[in-house]
Amino acid sequence: MKKIDLALLKDASTRLLFDMTDAQYQVLIQEFDILLKQMALIGKIDGLDKITPMTFPFPVSTSFLRDDGITQTLTQTDATKNAAHVSQGQIKLPKVVG
Amino acid sequence: MHILDRSILGIHEALVKKEITPLALTKEAILRAKADPWNSFEMVTETLALEQASALTIPEKENVFWGIPYVIKDNFSTKGLETTAGSNILKGYLPLYDATVYEKLIQAKAILIGKTTLDELAMGGTGMTGHRGWQYNPYDPTKQRQIGGSSSGSAAAVASGMVPFSLGSDTGDSVRKPASYAGLVGFKPTWGRISRHGLFPFAPSLDHVGYFTRSVMDAAALTTLLSGHDDKDATSSHRPIPTFQSNQSIKGKRIAILKEVIDSTKNPTILKAFQTSIDALKKAGAIVDTIHFSKDLLEAIYPTYMTISCAEATSNNANLDGLKFGPGYQGKTYQDVMMQARTQGFSELIKRRFIIGSFVLMRENQQDLFLRAQRVRHMIVDALTKIYETYDGIYLPAAPNIAPKFTDSSDRLSSQYLIADSHLALGNFAGLPSLTIPIGFEHTMPFGANIMGRAFDEATTLAIGKVIEDAMGFHNLSTKTRTNV
Repeated sequence: MKKIDLALLKDASTRLLFDMTDAQYQVLIQEFDILLKQMALIGKIDGLDKITPMTFPFPVSTSFLRDDGITQTLTQTDATKNAAHVSQGQIKLPKVVG
Repeated sequence: MHILDRSILGIHEALVKKEITPLALTKEAILRAKADPWNSFEMVTETLALEQASALTIPEKENVFWGIPYVIKDNFSTKGLETTAGSNILKGYLPLYDATVYEKLIQAKAILIGKTTLDELAMGGTGMTGHRGWQYNPYDPTKQRQIGGSSSGSAAAVASGMVPFSLGSDTGDSVRKPASYAGLVGFKPTWGRISRHGLFPFAPSLDHVGYFTRSVMDAAALTTLLSGHDDKDATSSHRPIPTFQSNQSIKGKRIAILKEVIDSTKNPTILKAFQTSIDALKKAGAIVDTIHFSKDLLEAIYPTYMTISCAEATSNNANLDGLKFGPGYQGKTYQDVMMQARTQGFSELIKRRFIIGSFVLMRENQQDLFLRAQRVRHMIVDALTKIYETYDGIYLPAAPNIAPKFTDSSDRLSSQYLIADSHLALGNFAGLPSLTIPIGFEHTMPFGANIMGRAFDEATTLAIGKVIEDAMGFHNLSTKTRTNV
């Protein structure tokens, strides 16, 4: 398992596309310390490795393809309605290529 | 007592008898909502509510929701009504469609009074982390105590008598724990029973629609209305919707008490009331046994919940990029824009949760963290399944104490946690129907107990809850009907 340190957490937050203050990282380091100790204890539970991971409480019961049907899709106006920057019917981003 | 202070069924009776009109009822609810001192609302939908209520003139005897005012947690999509999930990153977001549960309430002609505050993105348990600030417990006029979260505003609105019911969501205990702190009935049916289409996902393997009411029969009526398969939610069940009888006997039903959870509950007032409720269950013909549950597994609940929920949340909220919706941040590149949006749009708690989620999902960590948590979840669910081979329900205090003070509790991870404070998540791990009912007061603060039934057996769960409600006598509880608050 990767070792928790400030550099690793800063890298993780950059990948997640947000920034945090140094004080906030310190709180997070303390939280990791607690969580990793608890998860290590869980690892000692007898027979755990023989159990399969559970993804959902029950098997999902929808196991067929629904019939084709004519449905409404979003209009261009609706699709861009919530974006702050829109140009010519499309969401506008800063230029990628100068 | 104003008619608005009755249960849903009680208000319905008055509407059918034309003792009050939906418009007069709605005006009273809006009046109370606008004077709300508990910070329950993201928005009061006054214009919409008055318009809807004005259109209702001929009472529908068979439709108990006709003209009934209610509120909904602000993480359900409501077309054209701002929906932020308590987060600045969604400020100004206007959904383009309605959540299925909201659609059903519109069809039933219930009246939406407002959208309620919550812990940001439903990811807290204190009612302290949403972008509108703290929510307060109506049973504490000094505003020192929490209402609990994440469905904090929905709980406060019903507990203070603004409306007779509200919708919430429950991923760990976000309806059932606040229900205990607020003297309410809080119910989440089986995972899959109610469509989650339009509910903002937090951790879909654990997320449930839930609701607050002031009586068990009101919770049953809501279950009938909201249940059923929905093509828009592939995880919703095709099972037929059961009917619920108010006089269903529980004679011969077997109920288990988990000794390890009781041992972790130290409050003598809660333990005494809990014992009184057990005596009532026995008197009604139920067979109640105290049984053992692995302490190792019970102690694993909290870290397992944190690991799974943070991992799912990190992934599910990756779409909150500040480009397609949000206030519109500036930057030189699109990555800059997203960085600005997510840095300014999320609170500290959410960022910490996302980093935890991201870390447990890293390839090098998955075996020791995420997959380990999923394994122990399976082990816990297997242990529960074994109990349900013999028992119809597991009955426990919903929380080890009355609502905590703001100074005594936070959403930071702690090594000091109690089994009795985290056991409600068992119902999310296994997707079981789980009902909190008020059973007592310590001074002026209420507390509840919880019955968790077999999967898809909401009828028995509600029947057991009804026996407890009748025995303990807390019918239709709110700060309006409880005279000493």
